[in-house]
Amino acid sequence: MTNNDHKKPVRKPAPSAADNCLHINQLSVHRGMALVISNLSHQQSAGDICCLTGPNGAGKSTLLRTIAGRLPAAGGDIKCALPIIYIGHTDGLSGAISGRENLAGWAKINGFSATENAIDTALSSFATNQFADLPARVLSRGQRRRLALARLALAPANSLWLLDEPNAGLDQASSRILDEIVQKHATAGGMVLAATHLDFATAAQPRSLHLPGLVT
Amino acid sequence: MKPFFAQIERDLLIAWQNRQDLGVMLVFFVIIIALFPLAIGANATVLDPLGVPVIWIAALLAILAGFDRLFAQDVRDGWLDQIALSQLGLGWYALAKAISHWLTAGIPLLIMTPLMAMMLNIPSQQWPPLLIALLIGSMGLTLLGVIGAALAEGARRGTALMALLILPLAVPLLIFGTLASQSDRGIISPHLMLLGAVFALLLALAPLVAASALEIGETETGL
Repeated sequence: MTNNDHKKPVRKPAPSAADNCLHINQLSVHRGMALVISNLSHQQSAGDICCLTGPNGAGKSTLLRTIAGRLPAAGGDIKCALPIIYIGHTDGLSGAISGRENLAGWAKINGFSATENAIDTALSSFATNQFADLPARVLSRGQRRRLALARLALAPANSLWLLDEPNAGLDQASSRILDEIVQKHATAGGMVLAATHLDFATAAQPRSLHLPGLVT
Repeated sequence: MKPFFAQIERDLLIAWQNRQDLGVMLVFFVIIIALFPLAIGANATVLDPLGVPVIWIAALLAILAGFDRLFAQDVRDGWLDQIALSQLGLGWYALAKAISHWLTAGIPLLIMTPLMAMMLNIPSQQWPPLLIALLIGSMGLTLLGVIGAALAEGARRGTALMALLILPLAVPLLIFGTLASQSDRGIISPHLMLLGAVFALLLALAPLVAASALEIGETETGL
């Protein structure tokens, strides 16, 4: 353990507006005692879709959480001046209130448009309108997932999407919707980095970043 | 400020759906107060001076008892991840949590207090100083509870740990609060001012302490 052990990832504003990229340079991350990610470098620019692959425990979720600023980097740096939308293993939905209230609350704390119209449109992107007014605790895993993913419809065009197993638990129709939304986001100049074991946005021929597994 | 109020709105919506928790807290408050006379015996000369301290102890325990799950649900749901990436920030988030918790636990407790004061035979001219002191004291205790809940978040046996951390820190609030409640120098007594000073200090510090505790707790134990 070195003295830069708990350094936060550096998120400097980009020098110019054209430099709306994600730069990961020589990144290392510890989990517990193990070095999960070692000397990882990765570049991604506007319009890129990248699939993060690797066996269980290879550090896919860790990498996404580190980019999102939720875990400290042990070394190296991450530069990204764009707004980040992170959808992790947990959906970020409170079971006590409805999907609609959850989504509206999320939009408001991020300063996105939370008008009735905007929320309705976002909810219908994953065809969640039918169950959006039920308390989230009575919903199935896949339904909750769709509500969490409905946030993507509210995200700004230039944002970086960090998706952790976005299509796990989704039915085929919803997976197709997700692929379409992701491709539309990339075409509009956004970036997507998704950890997945399943087919993801194959039509757009995403790049792939492979994490080999535990480094001892 | 909009994200801040959105967080309060969300917490109030959740509290309304879980409103039976409020009943549990209020019954807890009443039971503690009812147990004291039973234990001490029906001697009015002993019981009368104990009325105000008993209400304070009961309020302290009832407010802090509701705190162990304050952040736990948001951490488990993944809401904290969304907060950390949002415009809100963890400090404002902690303050919003304190405000919504006080609105849903502190206010009902204050409304119950005159009833309890009547039950304990506290003279009615003592009620205004008691209620004012309890108003400020409950806000201070809520802020302390936010610190404790944030520090204990993710720890095994978090509730016991939180009580150990917070109860000693509640001593100044308890001392100035009970003195201000029993003041015979009108409502605005020096003790009330000191109570207010402790509250002001907590208001400035608690969101910062809670934010860094949540930040560390999350990075050490996060998924």
